[in-house]
Amino acid sequence: MSDPKLQEKIIDALKTVQDPDLHKDIVSLGFVKNMSIDGGNVKFDVELTTPACPVKEQLRTECETKVKAIDGVEQVDVNMTAVVRSTEHSQPVLTGVKNIIAVASGKGGVGKSTVSTNLAIALSMTGAQVGLMDADIYGPSIPQMMGIPISPPKVGSENKFFPHEKYGLKVVSAAFLTKQGQPLMLRGPMLGGIIQQFLQNVEWGELDYLVIDLPPGTGDVQLTLTQKAPISGAVVVTTPQEVSLIDADKGVKMFQQVKVPLLGIVENMSYFICDGCDKKHHIFRQGGGKKLAGTFNIPLLGEIPIIESIAEGGDSGIPVVMADAESSAAQAYKDLAGQVAAQLSINQANKGEKVSADFELSWKS
Amino acid sequence: MTAPAPRNIKQIDESTLGISWNDGHDSVYSVKNLRESCPCANCIDEWSGKKLIAPGTIPQEIRPRNLKAVGLYAIQFDWSDGHNTGLYTHELLRQLCECAACKSKSADNQT
Repeated sequence: MSDPKLQEKIIDALKTVQDPDLHKDIVSLGFVKNMSIDGGNVKFDVELTTPACPVKEQLRTECETKVKAIDGVEQVDVNMTAVVRSTEHSQPVLTGVKNIIAVASGKGGVGKSTVSTNLAIALSMTGAQVGLMDADIYGPSIPQMMGIPISPPKVGSENKFFPHEKYGLKVVSAAFLTKQGQPLMLRGPMLGGIIQQFLQNVEWGELDYLVIDLPPGTGDVQLTLTQKAPISGAVVVTTPQEVSLIDADKGVKMFQQVKVPLLGIVENMSYFICDGCDKKHHIFRQGGGKKLAGTFNIPLLGEIPIIESIAEGGDSGIPVVMADAESSAAQAYKDLAGQVAAQLSINQANKGEKVSADFELSWKS
Repeated sequence: MTAPAPRNIKQIDESTLGISWNDGHDSVYSVKNLRESCPCANCIDEWSGKKLIAPGTIPQEIRPRNLKAVGLYAIQFDWSDGHNTGLYTHELLRQLCECAACKSKSADNQT
């Protein structure tokens, strides 16, 4: 016994619910699905563009309140779901990967790998399928941080190999290609070869997000990746002080030059909260990340505090978002994951018509 | 800060390439001029920026064989003389536009 008038009223009410990131109502965006009305009982799905949506609960409450306010509605059941939209690409590499996030910095030692690892886990904790590529060939630290012992990857057919799996994440690192503790000593062109392998020969399967932990700087690996991989967006990690910002600035400009969309800045080691006095100490000065984001007019995605458990998590192989999911550090990373996913969704909604990365034209004469 | 990006790239006739940009501009190019403007290190001295292609050495009948995107920022041309090392960034292509409006603008700048 469904009342067509009632359905109309519900749709009208839902048209007043705006997605704060995409600046459109959830009906026009096609988020409302599978509505069923049984007497006064209303059920529907709201399908978001990412399970990591930072305003998920806020949207649910708004839908419930607005629909409940309609005459004749007694019970509202809103089911929040998500299907991650894919950044359009059909390059022959990484075809099963919907979004590729590059984590970069100008400078070394700002915590890229820690940020990449915790970001990847925080994304996967929302229910997304996530991969993590350790592209820091000379100094791979992801296996240590993820607690994966160094062992050669499982080999499949046609030169393909399988990523290691841990905590629900698929992980690839150059460290797995060498003996434990052995340095990889390579000249520039070889780096490109290894990155190609990671892109072409890894059986990633279907992924919502692939997080790539880049080496510091603006060199061979970064260029190969921006030329060969359809990167959806880049995150630049910095610490607050000026010396770090100078290099982060170059990192941002590199992505601008190669037209990789910038998702935003992450300020790592932002502050330390003393357990004796509860005061925020800005050890590496204050506001650097914000300043950098302001200069380029891109979002400041997060400020990660200095907390012992973050370093502990890295060393023990149980990243802090897993080890201590309720801690303030874990919360900072979960917020970051939400911001990154939201920026990707915004970029996809706003992208204009452009020649895609797989453009090819043969000349007729 | 968003520079214009190509929306569509197509062959107009045997020796003319057309690019329409997402800011509404339509560019045309003689492919011979594009070959002469190759930005690679064999064609332009990396340090001085001096052109290394001797005038008159690019034949009239030069054609691209194939064009393809490099990442999201450039186009690579594979030329009929076997040359293929030039990555033409979107900015460079926009500068090289030979439409009437752009040509008269660059002529103004030179006088």
